[in-house]
Amino acid sequence: MSTAQILEKFHAVASNPAAQKKKYLDAGKKIVLVTYYTPEELIHSMGAVPFTTYGGDIQVNDAKQYFPAFICSILQTMLEQGMNGTYEGCSAIVIPSLCDSLKCIGQNWKYAVPSIPFIPMTYPQNRKPDFGKEFTKAGYERVISEVEAATGLSYDDEKAAESIRIYNEHNALMREFSSLCAEHPEITAQQRSDVFKSAGFMLKEEHSEMVRELIASLKQDAPGKAKKRIYISGILADAPGLNEIFDDMNLQIVGDDVFAFERQYRTDCKTSTTNVDALAEKFSAMDYCSLLYDVDKKRVKMIPAEAKRLHADGVILVLTKFCDPEEFDNPMIKNACDEAGIPCIVIEIDRQMQNYEQARTMIETFSDIL
Amino acid sequence: MYTLGIDIGSTTSKCVILKDGSEIIAMSLVQAGTGTDGPSRAYAEVLTKAGLTKEQIDYTVATGYGRNTYAEADAEMSELSCHAKGVHFMNPECRTIIDIGGQDAKVIQLSERGTIANFVMNDKCAAGTGRFLDVMAGLLQMPVSDLENYALRAEEPVKISSTCTVFAESEVISQLSKNVDLSNLVAGICNSVASRTAALAKRAGIKDVVCMSGGVAQNGGVREALAKELGTPVLEVKYAQYMGALGAAIAAFEKNN
Repeated sequence: MSTAQILEKFHAVASNPAAQKKKYLDAGKKIVLVTYYTPEELIHSMGAVPFTTYGGDIQVNDAKQYFPAFICSILQTMLEQGMNGTYEGCSAIVIPSLCDSLKCIGQNWKYAVPSIPFIPMTYPQNRKPDFGKEFTKAGYERVISEVEAATGLSYDDEKAAESIRIYNEHNALMREFSSLCAEHPEITAQQRSDVFKSAGFMLKEEHSEMVRELIASLKQDAPGKAKKRIYISGILADAPGLNEIFDDMNLQIVGDDVFAFERQYRTDCKTSTTNVDALAEKFSAMDYCSLLYDVDKKRVKMIPAEAKRLHADGVILVLTKFCDPEEFDNPMIKNACDEAGIPCIVIEIDRQMQNYEQARTMIETFSDIL
Repeated sequence: MYTLGIDIGSTTSKCVILKDGSEIIAMSLVQAGTGTDGPSRAYAEVLTKAGLTKEQIDYTVATGYGRNTYAEADAEMSELSCHAKGVHFMNPECRTIIDIGGQDAKVIQLSERGTIANFVMNDKCAAGTGRFLDVMAGLLQMPVSDLENYALRAEEPVKISSTCTVFAESEVISQLSKNVDLSNLVAGICNSVASRTAALAKRAGIKDVVCMSGGVAQNGGVREALAKELGTPVLEVKYAQYMGALGAAIAAFEKNN
């Protein structure tokens, strides 16, 4: 199978999560909706399918009654999809408390989507000290018991070891794929996005198999014609309208700090007393993220350093409109890039965007500068 | 060699024909933008003014919001890049361009060579744009061109929200119902645009000389208010509304050489 054919398989999954959901439900699997920093390994080890939601590129209608206008559209479209039946058949949704917007979805979800139990995962602000790890562990134990209640499945700490292995392996493959993308300009922004996005709608062992096949195929391919190299950062960058602009402008994404892409795959889980302890340790070891408390703001210097390492010509900060944590970091990142002599722009995107003309104008101008 | 630049904006269409990349031969402006017959009318008008035929134009570059759909163009370029080229051509000393168009505002920092060093654009919002002034002029039942005269006569400008056109409109109605002096009210409207644009400009960084392009540059009330907000003079570029089209004509010359 050619690389193009393999990439088409990723596109089919990424662009049709409903078909994936149906496939797993028809196979008798329980599906649990997950998002940023959900301890997926625990859910996976219980035999359920962790199914990612970052909302979708849709118009918000019914969910507007629960939110003010100026709030993150990921959250709004997540609730809209809950209300319009997109997630019908799912057993529960687990939402962490890592940003102010996510903190307030629970009360609305319980009223608006009573058919899908809402399970909060409350993380500590200080995740690195022992008391922080204990707090995280207690949160995970609560998630386990609530997922057990919602799905009828049961948790076995020994089985979690295998899930952790599967997730670590998947992390490594995704990192390898990303490194290969930096050497293969012929991989379009849309194709790269498809590979990352599809991971959320598949069991990780199945996705790993596809990524392994893709990596093997890419290694056989000669690199395509060089393009301008960019490094991107943000929460999401999966909108087809946005990726079309990157591709139209002949820009190659050589690396990223996008949560839904590479950011989530940086940290592996190591062994500990129990596997719940191991996952709490993993969370404590995570860093370089706008959603994670960090007095040193290490992410700010990491982005220009990574851009330099990857020989990127410029950095594009893809800001999800009304995302407070990212908005706080972006001016510092822009300054750090300016100091490092790396051109950097911020473009705002929104889940409900129908028209990307302003982003196109900005990216086109940025491409002219590069 | 004749090159043509066409700037298809949200509310107007502008054309410039250049001879050998350095001499402006003709310009045209039609008060109709993308999605209308404005671009073709502006194109026909500029050819007539120049006494040239379509076949005599060596290269055409389109810019502005309608640039992607204009079939007559040989190439297209973003309006930020074109404004930078146009303003640098007219005023090589300029280091900061503030361009307020019909539906957006842009601030561009230029290097000594006239290349873009940094830029920012406003949010997708009518506040702080030409559209804001259109709405306000409509509310006050006066042409947009009259706003300047009123604003410059003001003694005590009223405060008008710079956050939202819809909020600002209701504030203006409320002020009108209090019989507030019209000059003070218009000055408040101009200050509102200036305040929002100044915030954008400070994000990009201000370097003298600051020039203003786009339709709103012709409004002395906004220019004065902006100069106060930024603490530095804001110059109106000659042919302010044509900078995008001029830059496109320059780009056409560069692409064809």
